[in-house]
Amino acid sequence: MVRAIHYLNQFFAGLGGEEAAGTEPTRVDGPVGPGKGLAAALEGIEIVATIACGDDYFGEQEGAALGRLFALIEGDRPDLLVAGPAFGSGRYGYACARVVAEAGKRGIPGLAAMHEENPGVAAAAGRVLIVPTAVNVAGMRDALPRIASLASAVASGRELGPPAEEGYLPRGLRRNRHHGATGAERAVDLLLAKLAGETRSEVGGAFDRVEPPARVGDLSHALMALVTEAGCVPQGNPDRLPSVRAQAWLRYSLAGEKRLEAGEYESVHGGFDVARANEDPNRLVPLDTVKGLVDQGRIGRLHEFFYTTTGNGTPVASSTKFGREIARELRDAGVEAVLLSGT
Amino acid sequence: MTWEVRTFAPEVLAPDVERIEDLARAESALAGVDVAVVEPGDPVRVTHVLDAVEPRIRPDGRRAFPTEDQAGQGVTHRIFDVAVLSCLDFPGEERPLHEQESIVDLAGPAADLTPFGSMRNVVLSFRPGDGSDHRTLDSAVRRVTLSTAEILAEPTLSAEPVHTHTFELGPVDDSLPSVAALVQLSDLGQLYQLYLYGTPVGESGLPKLVDPAEVMDGAVTAGEYHWAAMRNPTIFFQLNSLVRTLYREHGKRLRFSGVVLIRGYEQSADDKQRAADSAAQLAVGLGVDGVVITTDAGGNSHTDTMLTCRACENAGVRTSVIVCEETDLEATAPILTDWVPEADCIVSTGNVEQLGPAWKPERVLGGDHLLDGRPAAEAGPIPVRNYLGATNQMGQLDLGATSW
Repeated sequence: MVRAIHYLNQFFAGLGGEEAAGTEPTRVDGPVGPGKGLAAALEGIEIVATIACGDDYFGEQEGAALGRLFALIEGDRPDLLVAGPAFGSGRYGYACARVVAEAGKRGIPGLAAMHEENPGVAAAAGRVLIVPTAVNVAGMRDALPRIASLASAVASGRELGPPAEEGYLPRGLRRNRHHGATGAERAVDLLLAKLAGETRSEVGGAFDRVEPPARVGDLSHALMALVTEAGCVPQGNPDRLPSVRAQAWLRYSLAGEKRLEAGEYESVHGGFDVARANEDPNRLVPLDTVKGLVDQGRIGRLHEFFYTTTGNGTPVASSTKFGREIARELRDAGVEAVLLSGT
Repeated sequence: MTWEVRTFAPEVLAPDVERIEDLARAESALAGVDVAVVEPGDPVRVTHVLDAVEPRIRPDGRRAFPTEDQAGQGVTHRIFDVAVLSCLDFPGEERPLHEQESIVDLAGPAADLTPFGSMRNVVLSFRPGDGSDHRTLDSAVRRVTLSTAEILAEPTLSAEPVHTHTFELGPVDDSLPSVAALVQLSDLGQLYQLYLYGTPVGESGLPKLVDPAEVMDGAVTAGEYHWAAMRNPTIFFQLNSLVRTLYREHGKRLRFSGVVLIRGYEQSADDKQRAADSAAQLAVGLGVDGVVITTDAGGNSHTDTMLTCRACENAGVRTSVIVCEETDLEATAPILTDWVPEADCIVSTGNVEQLGPAWKPERVLGGDHLLDGRPAAEAGPIPVRNYLGATNQMGQLDLGATSW
């Protein structure tokens, strides 16, 4: 039997209405309120305990609420956490999303249920499975069997199918499917629709656009660093930087160097023809030019290390991590300007 | 201009292995070739696939993949549901440009990622000669592969076609919207380039207006071996879904105003902008209302697509663009290599990052080990990225990424 915990707010846990919204986290054995209907719909899953918290308490002291809620179920050895349904209630929906997200961090799979426009959906940020429900409690009877069905799927540990099939709101993960129509046919359809005044897209939403930073105030007194994704490494690639899909960045000393000599540095980047870059590695990491500008007093000083990775097929998550790590080091070293050479 | 295509059934195929071996023997760069025929459902994985070509021949004796005379007119014979797959593991560490692993599964969970899983494939596994450099090897392999595609189609010369189709663009209702295809062809040097009439597209004077039938009649051939899923193998030009769709809709929902071959992988920001502007100017000159913009390969060719989209929209030509996604498996929003706000009408041909379930073939052709060193028969889950043409950005296939 799968051991499940059910999360409710004060109202659905029978602890009171708005006047009880400050109720502290609490736990009772077995199902309570809508949990009884849910328990009846669940197969092979037992609600071993119900935890509840006042909506205001959760909203105002989220960290404390989460800590105490999960402390209350430490002895319950839960396999699954179900939160809601919260319907259209914003504070309750928010708490459901956060509780399920926290459960996930603690290795307990879970799901929530609420209306698709509940602010909890945005709070879930695609990290929480959410069963869509009606906007108010009249949708309880309809919601419970659907929650039970997704709960079974989640408890089984199998890979979930598409949202419409499994009954959850799309989280924004991008998964492939065969459309039946070719991409070309779809592109012609979309173009004709656009020409007829209806613009649609298969890819939309917020793309990660990096805004150019403010310009450096006085470069002639600034400490500058050289950073590249051109795969520039000492000849022979001693640290084995991959030519594609790098998993790490590297740091090499420039102490005493005035330029990068051919034969001493090379590019291992697999995304462009490196022949000419290797004839003059300064075109990957422009040490010669920057040293010249330092001598002329137009750049203050040059940081003693350069930072390098291969920006070829690298997942955005990895690139973002590299950027943060390199930026942290540079900031700690007092670097005020970076010349980032890309390929 | 009219072009007649006579289609023959796969049953006419009768590979003369010795003749194919002779072709390879005549190339000093090659030590030889192993020829195998595999059928849909065979428990076979093909690795190191460079290109795929449909068997074609012209009854009037002109070449099926011409380097001089005009394609897209007269008569061409084809055998449907058959592909020649060329396979080679470029030897050594010499890497001016890196080829990437390229796989076709004939069965198993990823068989439907490429069209070749449901076709009869004549697999040519090339063996490199000692000391042959990559460029010489590549040239030899492409020559033998295209010649093999012609030899294989020879039996059609004395057979009955199952189907004949004539491609032509007659006059149609002026009130229909005028649409062109801007087909991007990349050139980053040999091993990363496509060819127009046998000449690298970078030396072919792109952008260039061509007769749509030329695209499907062997004028464009492939030699681009970066990310497998994003490639445009030769057969995807021969059977081009975009060109065929526009022919089909000509006179019904649109006026098909032509194909413009545009350049991908220009290497400087100025050259990229110039290429985008000149493509847009050609579209404006055609007087079209809208264009479909396609993409070849990955990386900065996506910037070319987006710049071309912006240039067209700014010039008053509406666009839809075709690209694949490179969305991390845990990311909760689509990730594109590049994007401009003008690209408001995008077709996603799939997320290359998605992993296919592990599958254990009984037989491996092309090479026993993947380029990353894993045994090809027990490689575990393989990303869509490594399947030949799986997320083709001319929109050849029906895959697409959707929100889960």
